[in-house]
Amino acid sequence: MSKAQPNPLEMLAFVVAKQIEDKQIVYVGTGLPMVGAILAKKTHAPNITLVYESGGQDPIEGPMPWSVADPVTWRKAPLTMEMSLSFAQAANGFVDVAFQGAAQIDMYGNLNTHVIGDFNKPKARLTGSGGGNDLSSLTENSIIVGLQTPEKFPAKLDFMTSPGHLTGGNTRREAGLLGNGPVAVITQVGVYDFEPESKRMRIKSLHPGMTVEIAQACTGFELLVPEDEIPVTPIPTAEDLRLLREEVDPQKMFITFPPQ
Amino acid sequence: MKSKFEYNPVALENLQIKDPSILDRLIDTESVRQGNLKKERAKVDKRMTLKEAVAEYVSDGDIYADSGFSYVRTPLQALFEVMRQGKKGLQGIGSPNTNHSYGIPYGVFSYSHNSYLGAEMRGTDRSYSISVQQKKVDILSEWSHGAMALGFKAAQIGAPYLASKSMLASDMINHNPYVKVVDNPFKKDKDPVCLVPALHPDVVFIHVQQADKYGNARIYGPSVNDIALASACRKVIITAEEIVPESDLRNNTGGNIIPFMFVDAVVDLPFGAAPGNCPGHYYWSREFWEWGIRITLSGKSDEARDSFWNYWVFDCKDQLEFVEKLGGVRWIEQHRKLEKASNLTYEDDGVDFSYTSVIPKWD
Repeated sequence: MSKAQPNPLEMLAFVVAKQIEDKQIVYVGTGLPMVGAILAKKTHAPNITLVYESGGQDPIEGPMPWSVADPVTWRKAPLTMEMSLSFAQAANGFVDVAFQGAAQIDMYGNLNTHVIGDFNKPKARLTGSGGGNDLSSLTENSIIVGLQTPEKFPAKLDFMTSPGHLTGGNTRREAGLLGNGPVAVITQVGVYDFEPESKRMRIKSLHPGMTVEIAQACTGFELLVPEDEIPVTPIPTAEDLRLLREEVDPQKMFITFPPQ
Repeated sequence: MKSKFEYNPVALENLQIKDPSILDRLIDTESVRQGNLKKERAKVDKRMTLKEAVAEYVSDGDIYADSGFSYVRTPLQALFEVMRQGKKGLQGIGSPNTNHSYGIPYGVFSYSHNSYLGAEMRGTDRSYSISVQQKKVDILSEWSHGAMALGFKAAQIGAPYLASKSMLASDMINHNPYVKVVDNPFKKDKDPVCLVPALHPDVVFIHVQQADKYGNARIYGPSVNDIALASACRKVIITAEEIVPESDLRNNTGGNIIPFMFVDAVVDLPFGAAPGNCPGHYYWSREFWEWGIRITLSGKSDEARDSFWNYWVFDCKDQLEFVEKLGGVRWIEQHRKLEKASNLTYEDDGVDFSYTSVIPKWD
C-alpha cells in the first residue's frame, strides 16, 4: 500500500480523531480511540483533556498504553483519582465523550463484551464489563469503534453489557440512564449515527470505495439509509498519516493492518 | 443452608446458584463490624514473612480481593505465594479481577465475582474462557467496574448501600444477585437507580511503596480501589517495597492512605508487585504478559500452561528468585530507568519503551 493511502485501521483512527472537538474532556480506552485522540490533540484539537479509568487526569502523551491502567494513562499527570471517582466524573458531567469497543453491537448501539453464545454454556467467555457499562450509562456522548462484520453487528446480542438506546425511542431515558447514549459508530466501512426518533443505526457517511450494499452485507440487521446523497468520509492527508505513523503510534501497536 | 439476605431470584436462577448462603459473607456488614471490634487496638509490630502471612490470613474458600489495577501496584507476588501454598476454593473479586485467572486451573479460585477478566490489549483471556466452559469456575455475580468500586466505597464510608446510575437495564442486573433496581424516592417523576450494597471481601493484600511496621501505609500513583478495600475487607495485609520508620509517615503525610488499625500484617517485600509496575520503583515487564498470553492465557495446552506456571510460580522460591528469572540486575536497571522516564525525572528523550525479549524463550 502506497504511503499516501491509509490502511483500514489508520482510517479508523483518523475518523475517531475527527469526532473529537477542541476543548472537550475525552474518556479514552486503549487501542484505536487512544490513537485517534492523540492525533486530534496534535491537529485540530490541541486543548482536549484526556482522562482514564486509572483515574489519570491530563497525562502527558507517551508510548501507546497496553491497558487502561498502564503507567502511560497517568504519565506525569498532576493527579490521579480513585476508580469510584473516575466514574463519578462521568456521572457528574465532567466528561464530554467516551469511546467504546465491543464483541457485538446491535442496531440501537447496545454492546456485548460478556459472552458469545449462552451465558452458562458459552462458545466463548469474554472479559465482562470493565468500565464499559459505566461509560455507556453515565457519559454525555459515547462513540463506538470497531471492525464491522455481520457477526459483530448481529440482530440480537447474546448478552447486553452496556446500554445504548435499549429498544429505541425514549427507552434509554425511561430506564434512568444518563446522557445521550451513543451518537456515532465508526467502522472500516463508514460512519453511522442514530435516527432521532427510532434511535436505529443509520448510515452517515461511507469511506471511499464503500457502498450501501457493502455496508448492509457487513451488518446482521437492517441499516437505515438516509434519503439524501450519502457523503464520502474525508480521508487523512499525507501529513495526518505521517503524524500517525511517526509520532502517534511509532511502534505500530494499533495501526498495523492486519492487526498483529 | 439458609441465606441471611434477600437476593434477586432471577439472578440466582440465571447463574444457577443452588445454595445462596455462599453469597452472604460479601455483604455481611455486621460480621465485619464485630470482627473489627476485636482487632488489635495497640500499635504493635506486625511484621512477618510473606509465607507466614499467607498461611495465617488466607483460608480456603475466602473471598479474595485483587488490588492495584491489573499490572500496576498489584500484589502479584502475594498472589503467587497463595498459589504456591495451594489454597483452594477462593472467591475472586476486584475491579478488575484479571489476575485471578492464573489460579483457576489449579483450584485456587473456584468462584468469580466478575468485573473484568481479560488480556487487556490482547483481548480475551482464553484460559478463563475454557475454565468457564469446563465449569472450573462458577460466576457468582457480574459487575461493572464502577458499580463494584461503589460497593467497596460504600463499605469504606459505612453506608449500607449506595445508589448508582450504572448497570441499569443491562443484562448484568439479572446476573448479579446483590444489586437491586428501585425508584429514587426523592423524585416525583419515575427515576430508576441501581442499589449497590457495601461489599466486604474476606482478605486483601495491598502492595504499597512504603509502610511502617505497624501498618500505616503510603502509596504513590493511582490508588484505584485500595483506600476503600483497606476499610472494606476483613483481613488486610500490607506488602511494602520499603519499611520506613513511623516518623517518616508523621513528617511526610502526602500519600498516606491506610491507618495502622485496619492492618493485620505487614510484609517487607521489595519487588512485591513484579513483574508488574510499582510506581516510583520499577516499570512493568510487558514481555512477561506477552509470553504469558502466548503460552498460558491462549489456552494452547495444559502442558504449556503448567510449564509456564511451574517455572514462574510453583518452582520459584520467592520474589527475589522471580526477579533473577526476569533478568536479575539487568532487569532491575532497565525497569528502574523506564519507570523514572515514564513518570519521574529521568530524561525520557531517547528512552526506548518498546519491549524486548529478555526472558528465555518458551515456544
